[in-house]
Amino acid sequence: MRVGELEVNFDPDGFMADPAAWNDAVARAIAAEEGIAELSDDHWRIVNFIRAYWKEHDLAPPVRLLCQELGMSVRQIYKLFASGPARGACRVAGLPKPDGCV
Amino acid sequence: MADITYLDNAATTFPKPPEVLHAMCEFYKNYGVNPGRTGCDLAIHAEQMIHGTRKKFSAFFNPGLAAGKGKDPNRLVFAANATMALNLVVNGTVGPGDHVVTTKVEHNSVIRPVNHKVREGAEAAFVAPDAEGYVDPAEIRKAIKKNTKLVIVNHGSNVTGVVQDLAAIGAVCREAGVPLAVDSAQTAGVIPIDMAAWNVSFLAFTGHKGLFGPTGTGGVCVADDAEIRGTVYGGTGVRSADPHHLEEFPYRLEAGTLNLAGIAGLCAGLDWIQHRGVENIHAHEIGLLGKLQEGLAAIPGLKIHGTTKLERRVATLSVTLANYDPQDVGTILDVEYGIQTRTGLQCAPLIHEHHGTAPRGTIRFSVGPFNTAEHVAAAVRAVTEIAADRPA
Repeated sequence: MRVGELEVNFDPDGFMADPAAWNDAVARAIAAEEGIAELSDDHWRIVNFIRAYWKEHDLAPPVRLLCQELGMSVRQIYKLFASGPARGACRVAGLPKPDGCV
Repeated sequence: MADITYLDNAATTFPKPPEVLHAMCEFYKNYGVNPGRTGCDLAIHAEQMIHGTRKKFSAFFNPGLAAGKGKDPNRLVFAANATMALNLVVNGTVGPGDHVVTTKVEHNSVIRPVNHKVREGAEAAFVAPDAEGYVDPAEIRKAIKKNTKLVIVNHGSNVTGVVQDLAAIGAVCREAGVPLAVDSAQTAGVIPIDMAAWNVSFLAFTGHKGLFGPTGTGGVCVADDAEIRGTVYGGTGVRSADPHHLEEFPYRLEAGTLNLAGIAGLCAGLDWIQHRGVENIHAHEIGLLGKLQEGLAAIPGLKIHGTTKLERRVATLSVTLANYDPQDVGTILDVEYGIQTRTGLQCAPLIHEHHGTAPRGTIRFSVGPFNTAEHVAAAVRAVTEIAADRPA
């Protein structure tokens, strides 16, 4: 994917190969791929929380914590990111693929 | 702890009985020294506990052996888990040019070690089960060749709960003169096992599931007449001047200091299930599985994968829900309803291919002895609500 001057590469599951290359424009471009025409304030709250948590812990946040901290239900998050917090939201936040038994 | 409905007992049983936790703490507090490494009384006591546990498990896995024809307890070898135990078995019996027969029901704990042997020059046949997930022993027989050195099969599926007919598969192996190895990760402590009667040469087990020990425990029970090479080398605590690893059991397959607290807990776990009765625990779990299966089957858009029989089964059930990714259902169940399940491929990709559930897998429910009818009803209600809120 090309975002401005930046060439962004992804792993086979669609997560950023180099999370350090993430920026707001990249987030918007990945969001478009996820079918999100425009990132709302709520989208950004989720993305920024996931990004900050990952920077501190090297892990995606537990979904329950994400809901608690942002005062959202898991269904609200699914309404914002149709492919879910662990996939859609983490992709837009530029994280590497979260662990999970798939 | 938050109120939870834990239905992921196939991953690990939870919670563990208080008796297990108590035994671990007390033993480690009072005798937490290196067993067999010194002549001090504490070390002797620790070694006695280890050896006593070997004896208990040897008997547990060989209930049919007549008195006086006991099993050599030193051939009950400890490992960190079933995967490590299965690696010991595969690496110790198969080499370049050899052939292995296994099945498509296997967990990656078998698939990957076997595939690595293939990469080193061995051959492997993966026998397909029937539509329900049961392997026909005749198909195992057909797959055996002149250079087959091992048949290795999953006893209970961690995806669908099917339990293979080990007595029949063992008879096939006996007739063909090929050793049979069994992955009992889902069945040890759940389904009575009789290695001698079923002609099982190697029984790999994990401690933290149906045996109610802690994680980091498990092992392999080696039949007295089975041949296996050692593939890990190092300290044994005895005959230190020998430049090579010892050939006698248990040292042949063990190296380094054992997980003393874990084995104390494993021993207590076996006491716990024997006190309650393996059959009684299993009957409780299967009774709940039947209710769960019946309740889920009535939900529009829900599909059960694999057998729905309750005979020859452990209490595990895999489903998918139309228009939902399994991982999303698992997340909603966890976060919104406090119900823990396992989603995805459950480390068993070939059986998902067989049932048509690859690559995204299933939502797996697995029942344990601490589950109740209320837990099952809560799970059915939750999935019903999620299904009703189905995305377009």
